[in-house]
Amino acid sequence: MEFLRNIYNWIDVRLGTHEIITEKRTGYLLPRNVNAWYSLGSVLLVIFCLQIITGMLLMLYYVPDIDKAFDSVSFIMTEIPLGRLVRLFHAVGSSMMLLVLLLHMFSILFMGSYKSPRELHWLTGFFLLLLAMGISLTGYLLPWNQLSFWATTVATDCASSIPFIGENLVELLRGGKQVGLHTLGRFYTLHVGLLPALIAVLIGVHLFLIQRTGVSTPPFGLEDTSNQWKGESFVYEEHPGGIPFFPNFFLQDMISISLYLACFMVFVFFFPNIFIPSTSYVPANPLVTPSHIKPEWYFLANYQTLKLFPSEIIGLTVQAIAMAFLALLPFIDRGEEKHPLKRPLFTFCAVSGILLWIGMTVWGLYS
Amino acid sequence: MRRWGIILMLLAACVMPSTQAMGAAPQVIVCIQCHAAQPARLSDPVTLWQTSIHAEHGITCNACHGGDPMDAANSMDPARGYRGVPAPTSVPALCGGCHMGVTKHYMNSAHGRALGRGGPTCVTCHGSHDITRASLELISKKNCTTCHTFDKALMIRRAMVKTDGMLKAIEKRITILKSQGIDTDPLEKKLFSLRNRFHAMYHSLDVTLIREESAHIQAELEKTSGAGGAGTGYLVGVIAVGWALLAALLFSMIKKNID
Ligand code: HEC
Ligand code: HEC
Ligand code: HEC
Ligand code: HEC
Ligand code: HEC
Ligand code: HEM
Repeated sequence: MEFLRNIYNWIDVRLGTHEIITEKRTGYLLPRNVNAWYSLGSVLLVIFCLQIITGMLLMLYYVPDIDKAFDSVSFIMTEIPLGRLVRLFHAVGSSMMLLVLLLHMFSILFMGSYKSPRELHWLTGFFLLLLAMGISLTGYLLPWNQLSFWATTVATDCASSIPFIGENLVELLRGGKQVGLHTLGRFYTLHVGLLPALIAVLIGVHLFLIQRTGVSTPPFGLEDTSNQWKGESFVYEEHPGGIPFFPNFFLQDMISISLYLACFMVFVFFFPNIFIPSTSYVPANPLVTPSHIKPEWYFLANYQTLKLFPSEIIGLTVQAIAMAFLALLPFIDRGEEKHPLKRPLFTFCAVSGILLWIGMTVWGLYS
Repeated sequence: MRRWGIILMLLAACVMPSTQAMGAAPQVIVCIQCHAAQPARLSDPVTLWQTSIHAEHGITCNACHGGDPMDAANSMDPARGYRGVPAPTSVPALCGGCHMGVTKHYMNSAHGRALGRGGPTCVTCHGSHDITRASLELISKKNCTTCHTFDKALMIRRAMVKTDGMLKAIEKRITILKSQGIDTDPLEKKLFSLRNRFHAMYHSLDVTLIREESAHIQAELEKTSGAGGAGTGYLVGVIAVGWALLAALLFSMIKKNID
């Protein structure tokens, strides 16, 4: 103990760590009416760390070669002690990450937390969602089974309908005319290199922005729920008399993380086949097209939208417009009110939009 | 000794279909071409055979009747190995060429000893051309009461039912485990030999032997019931989820205290 205290003192006199802890943590106050939704960000951090750890463990045995990938994943699943668990953590974790990302986004949507001065928070978050979808898409190919091969073939084929550059873009993505060895190489590089790095950087920016502006005040349990920011000069949103982050809100974070882990492990241990259907135990075969090729659940809505329109390019354009609208939402919705019930038009549109997305997903699942 | 017989039979079963299939499958052999166009007595065997387990494994007419399946003019020439219709007493030897383990049991049984004196041959129970996968259903009042009463037959059936059910259950579990990406090869290999040993045993008609062997096989099967990883994750899962929930509870209690 004495020895540890000496080390701590040695660091403290040089860096003032004690000051960081007391001033920034115990002195870091959150709004009095802060709610559990504010802890989803911490849950997301934990999920990302878990993906990194399990991903690196998978890399110990995974071989990114079309003749060996499938067998190496089978080897991980059957021969390596705890390998099955690690793979399930990673594969189920990727779906759960998307799910929690969406919940995080919806909560911010309804509480109006994206409003000024937090446009950049929303934008970085939106790009994090895109990157998470990208890392899942690229990771999905890696086990090189029938499902992953054909889902990737269909997904990359979408790009071909873009005028002028379509064909070239598909070849760039695939590294050839067909999904093959070079596609695997590209996707692997993106999945374990570029995309995790970009996500880590963007998470850093996201957190930096939150530190600079302070946490928003939720619009519940207050008389005046309009946005207080006037835009004249930079102000840090302080919450005098609020709840200290440490230990109070930190405990809320821990509760949410524990509850998340419980849900997550229910899927991992009892229903893993929801995320890894039995068709994914068949190695990829470019000569045999399965009868119905479905993407992962988070792409089902996109998939169904594409099928709905007579030509792919129209379907793609519609989706691009919808995504752009979502990305630019804080610049489009400039209203002052933050409470969802006091801005019924917005809430109606948002709920309809979410229901539409869920409807398309379910339709895509059963079509 | 019995073990060797089974192994030889397995080898035959594995080798025969592939060699036969390679020689015969690509073109329709002349026996079938010509016989299909003949009157019922000669063409019925063709239609019956076509849906049999032997057809599925490429065991063609000449495997049992001899002759040359490639030369239409001389196909039924004894000089080409044609043997004609086997006499009832030579049927066990014919089938025994491939089903050695079964035939050995049969020859030592009351049925084998009564061969030529009113006892059943292989085809009495299995048929000659419409042979399908065998099961305990074959032991029925319809099949077993033409020559004697049903009580002994029933005893044998009762002695076998439980092990039969266990084998079927394990087969089902293997397909499930397979669909979960679990390596079932060792389990399947073990099951394969146990299964063959068990089903061949019926032909001995020896209830004591069947009981002894069934008990032995059941013990072996029970040893496999934990294999393959099924269920191993279940308890761990309950514990892991339980701990996470407990942690959530603990944190919320501390939080209540502080707030
Ligand atoms: C060119 C036509 C033709 C071909 C080829 C042919 N058969 Fe026959 N088979 C016959 C006819 C006709 C009979 C009935 C007359 C007879 O008993 O000789 C017969 C009878 C038989 C019988 C019943 C004999 C009996 O005593 O009742 C068997 C068994 C048989 N064939 C097997 C074969 C096999 C095995 C092959 C191929 C290796 C074959 N046949 C090829 C025309 C053919
Ligand atoms: C698994 C061995 C086996 C195979 C394969 C087989 N037979 Fe036979 N066949 C027999 C036996 C045993 C008999 C005699 C027992 C009986 O009467 O059922 C027989 C009887 C016959 C008879 C005489 C039927 C009668 O009523 O006199 C004909 C004809 C015949 N087979 C033709 C064929 C032809 C043609 C094929 C090929 C499509 C064929 N067999 C394949 C075993 C076989
Ligand atoms: C040339 C070799 C050969 C001959 C001769 C032969 N069989 Fe077969 N038999 C096979 C093969 C191979 C199989 C398929 C192996 C398997 O899946 O068990 C088979 C399967 C069977 C089955 C089904 C086994 C099961 O698993 O349920 C029965 C019953 C059968 N034969 C009976 C007979 C009878 C009766 C005769 C004689 C009339 C006979 N066989 C002659 C090769 C032969
Ligand atoms: C073609 C006639 C015939 C048919 C059909 C037949 N058996 Fe038999 N069975 C015999 C003869 C003959 C004996 C020996 C004399 C006796 O014990 O009655 C015998 C004896 C037995 C025995 C006594 C063995 C012993 O060691 O005491 C059993 C058990 C038996 N048969 C079971 C069956 C079963 C099961 C079936 C139906 C799948 C069947 N039999 C069908 C003729 C037949
Ligand atoms: C008294 C009727 C009877 C006779 C005679 C008989 N069998 Fe069977 N056979 C059966 C029954 C019943 C089964 C199913 C046993 C079981 O499910 O365990 C069977 C099963 C088989 C099997 C399948 C074994 C397996 O691995 O699934 C083969 C092969 C077979 N018999 C071949 C023969 C041969 C060859 C002969 C002649 C030597 C013969 N049988 C004589 C009734 C008979
Ligand atoms: C940031 C979040 C991440 C997400 C959402 C994600 C998602 C995925 C997905 C969906 C798969 C396919 C799942 C399967 O069927 O097994 C996968 C596989 C894989 N991932 Fe990730 N991943 C992430 C991060 C990482 C990181 C950081 C690494 C390594 C540094 C990594 C390494 C791997 C490897 C090696 C595979 C292939 C093995 C396998 O398919 O089981 N992942 N990932």
